[in-house]
Amino acid sequence: MVDTAVVLAAGEGTRLRPLTRNRPKPMLPAANRPILEHVLDALVDAGAEDLVVVVGYKHDRVQNHFGPTYRDVPITYVRQNKQLGTGHALLQAREHVEGSMLVVNGDCLIDSTLVEDVCRAFDRGDGEPTLAVLEGPDARQYGAVTLRDGLVQELIEKPRTDEYRLINAGIYAFDDDIFGAIDDTPREAGELALTTTLSRELDDGRVRGVETDGLWVDASYPWDLLVVAAEILDYGLADEPERDDRVWVDETAIVHDDATLQPPVVIGPDCEIGPSAVVGPHSALGRNVTVGANATVANSVLDVDARVGAGSTLLDTVTGQHVRLGPNSVVSGGPADVRVGNEIFEDEDLGAVIADRVRADGNVGFAPGSLVGPNAHLDTGVTVDGQVREGTEVRR
Amino acid sequence: MCGIIGAVGRGVETLDVLVHGLSKLEYRGYDSAGVALADESVDICKKAGEIDELRGALEGRSIDGSVGIGHTRWSTHGPPTDENAHPHQDCSGDVAVVHNGIIENYQELRDELAAAGHTFRSDTDTEVVPHLVEDALRGGADPEAAVRSAVGRLEGSYAVAVVIAGVDRIFAARNDSPLVLGIDDDAYYLASDVPAFRDHTDRVVYLDDGEFTVLGPDGWRVTTLAGEPVEKTVDTVDWDPEETGKSGYDHYMLKEIHEQPRSLRQSLSERVDELGGSVDIGELADLNPRGVQFVAAGTSYHAALYGAELFRQAGIPAQAFRSSEFATSPPPIGDALVIGVTQSGETADTLSALREAQRRGARTLGVTNVVGSTVARESDHVFYIRAGPEIGVAATKTFASQLASLNLLALGMTSTDGTREIISSLRDLPGQVQEVLDGSAAREVADTYAASDAYFFIGRGLNYPVALEGALKMKEITYKHAEGFAAGGLKHGPLALVTDQTPVFAVVTGDDELAQKTIGNVKEVEARDAPVIAVTDGKSDVERYADHVLRIPEAHPRTAAVLANVQLQLVSYHTASILGRSIDKPRNLAKSVTVE
Repeated sequence: MVDTAVVLAAGEGTRLRPLTRNRPKPMLPAANRPILEHVLDALVDAGAEDLVVVVGYKHDRVQNHFGPTYRDVPITYVRQNKQLGTGHALLQAREHVEGSMLVVNGDCLIDSTLVEDVCRAFDRGDGEPTLAVLEGPDARQYGAVTLRDGLVQELIEKPRTDEYRLINAGIYAFDDDIFGAIDDTPREAGELALTTTLSRELDDGRVRGVETDGLWVDASYPWDLLVVAAEILDYGLADEPERDDRVWVDETAIVHDDATLQPPVVIGPDCEIGPSAVVGPHSALGRNVTVGANATVANSVLDVDARVGAGSTLLDTVTGQHVRLGPNSVVSGGPADVRVGNEIFEDEDLGAVIADRVRADGNVGFAPGSLVGPNAHLDTGVTVDGQVREGTEVRR
Repeated sequence: MCGIIGAVGRGVETLDVLVHGLSKLEYRGYDSAGVALADESVDICKKAGEIDELRGALEGRSIDGSVGIGHTRWSTHGPPTDENAHPHQDCSGDVAVVHNGIIENYQELRDELAAAGHTFRSDTDTEVVPHLVEDALRGGADPEAAVRSAVGRLEGSYAVAVVIAGVDRIFAARNDSPLVLGIDDDAYYLASDVPAFRDHTDRVVYLDDGEFTVLGPDGWRVTTLAGEPVEKTVDTVDWDPEETGKSGYDHYMLKEIHEQPRSLRQSLSERVDELGGSVDIGELADLNPRGVQFVAAGTSYHAALYGAELFRQAGIPAQAFRSSEFATSPPPIGDALVIGVTQSGETADTLSALREAQRRGARTLGVTNVVGSTVARESDHVFYIRAGPEIGVAATKTFASQLASLNLLALGMTSTDGTREIISSLRDLPGQVQEVLDGSAAREVADTYAASDAYFFIGRGLNYPVALEGALKMKEITYKHAEGFAAGGLKHGPLALVTDQTPVFAVVTGDDELAQKTIGNVKEVEARDAPVIAVTDGKSDVERYADHVLRIPEAHPRTAAVLANVQLQLVSYHTASILGRSIDKPRNLAKSVTVE
């Protein structure tokens, strides 16, 4: 039985910018808890007794959130100071692992089924590297896998064609000889990817793949957090007590008697929801979020400490932490074409992405598909459209 | 100030249990440590220095026994040497004793015992206890009666634990020093504080003053010193023992600084209702004090200064006193509510001040972090700050939670103008502290000024306690000279100390009259070529006169003080780190001072 799990949580996740300004992707909200919390849940549910978390980018945020244990399972933090690939990240954990181990990505939502399937397959084998293989997600975005008789034939990172059916779910079980194998792998462009090491072992027929079908949701872009939240709510993975059918409300939240919560919806600890506000469906409120009177929030993820002023409307909105929106702010919802750098994503269901600590004074409008950078200040009455850079002061 | 531990029922693991427990108590003192294990004989190993020294000494020795006691010491009587380390023994070597507190009549007892032929090996007050037990045993008393009679001779403060050769029990008693029992199915513990045995059990029994306990393989009982049985309740402690790990940080202090968003959330949770514009402090809302007197020491005293200002702002006369002064020269109390602020709930000076207030008929309220602590049990009312365990000797997150809690008390007990706005700012506070942590320039400031001769801190109004606390943190962990002043007091003397080698930290928030006046003081020190570090929200123009800026988010003056303090905590931490200081265990200091 594998009881040590190494979680790779050191990378920023640059495609999730601007939400990763102050924290790495694993700490972004999956509904109203960090993605990494769900990952650790999956590991602990599958019987992990020892967690080794590799941290790097904005590591304080991971360490502060979890502290020394998660659900009574001790956590050891190891630092990857330069993010030189997943293989390099795993090497940092070497001193803290003896024998076999699970290795998972900390930034991708999973449940315990996948972990258990990998463990079982690994236990049946003879210590060969074993990875979880999934059918479904678009292989072009991830790593494609071909399998024959339970052995991995090919591992292709982001293939250009759509002929591949299976992807690498990023959940592995290894013996500790993996460290030597990584040592022996030449760096590519200075980086050591775990998949490069595994590719070198394919010819020996040594890498097992196990097809599995648990929950697996990866957020590639900020608006994907809306999809992640919807999946979690539809799966019923909320932690809070279920007050009504699929209405999860923490005991410490204050919801006015005249407010309406539309399922599925989850309301985190210390939240306050004012009279005649309507929250949901498919909405998740992190800890200490305030929704003022007569506000409407639907298909949205509001992260910790967000404040939504009275009379505001937020549709298809993702906020970072401590976003403050004054009264009558309006995000009218998608679909929209979203521009990120030189790329344009067409027809995304996105109202707006509003990064950490944005402050909008009131009567602020957000055109569909807007991306507002951290610490921007939007003056009363402005309408933003497209991208607003970090720290910008937008005046009428 | 010391930590004690005892264990029965753990067989061959006893030694490991004791040493592990001592490591959890190290925050209470760390200049020497020792253990005693009893079976047919009593084996002792003790060593000056930190607990690692004791571990080293134990490696070369086989010491065993199924009943044991241990001690980590912070010297009050006699320097930290091997001889003065606890446990102490009698002449025969059959009795071993650990003790926390001060035995006031020890000289008299020692003279009497020396005259009767007892030989003393240490300079400590504690050593009288094993000799008293030895005397009683020689007189024919059974072991329990011998310990009772010895303890009965003691005056002063003590938590003592005793083992005797050939007896499979621990005898212990408490008076004015903390002692708590840990109850497991077939093992029993005692300690100065819960973390010492929290890894083994979460069931605890808090002893009260004048109580005596016997722990044996077959169970535990508590009696009065005279032997009357006492009914005790078994409490369950809810916090996680692993909260006392460092979670990847180099120091507890840095971990605890970074935990402030979380600990503030705990302090405020279910106590504020912003939309309703109210706070919930339970029955304390009915106290309606016509005046308030705070008593506190150290960092808690700075919180008390802040708290007194909050009550004054609501029109309630309020003052803060250093508890040691209050205890010995109390002011007229009248019908004031006396509020003791103490993180540990065991601060001896603050307990004395509260007892003095109670003796004079005053109502008392304890504001503390530790559930079941002495202040919680002795005060008429208690308010918990809920910051979670703090291990670093320099208080950080508990100060922030004290300030937040004092806001709740002041709002709940008075009618304060702008209550809703203050509640709103309190709910914003955890996120704003995170903002400071995410972007602080404190490390650069520390790099620039780590070699300075001295540091001064100035502020006005609610920022005055922040200036004092900033200086105290700097002193505690960097060992550098640091002083905090009310900004207006600078030119009445301290300005003579200011040179180009003495950076001045100016806490200037908002842009009101106080801020403008402090900026006037900044100009005074700038004219003496002192480097100026402004801690500011950027509302005023203080940055024009500053060499460095430590920025905080715009906030209500009440929460701005908390945010400014976080910046100063980080400056002290980084300065101490650059200077290579023992940050979590600064020299000569202990976490909670349980002696006067």
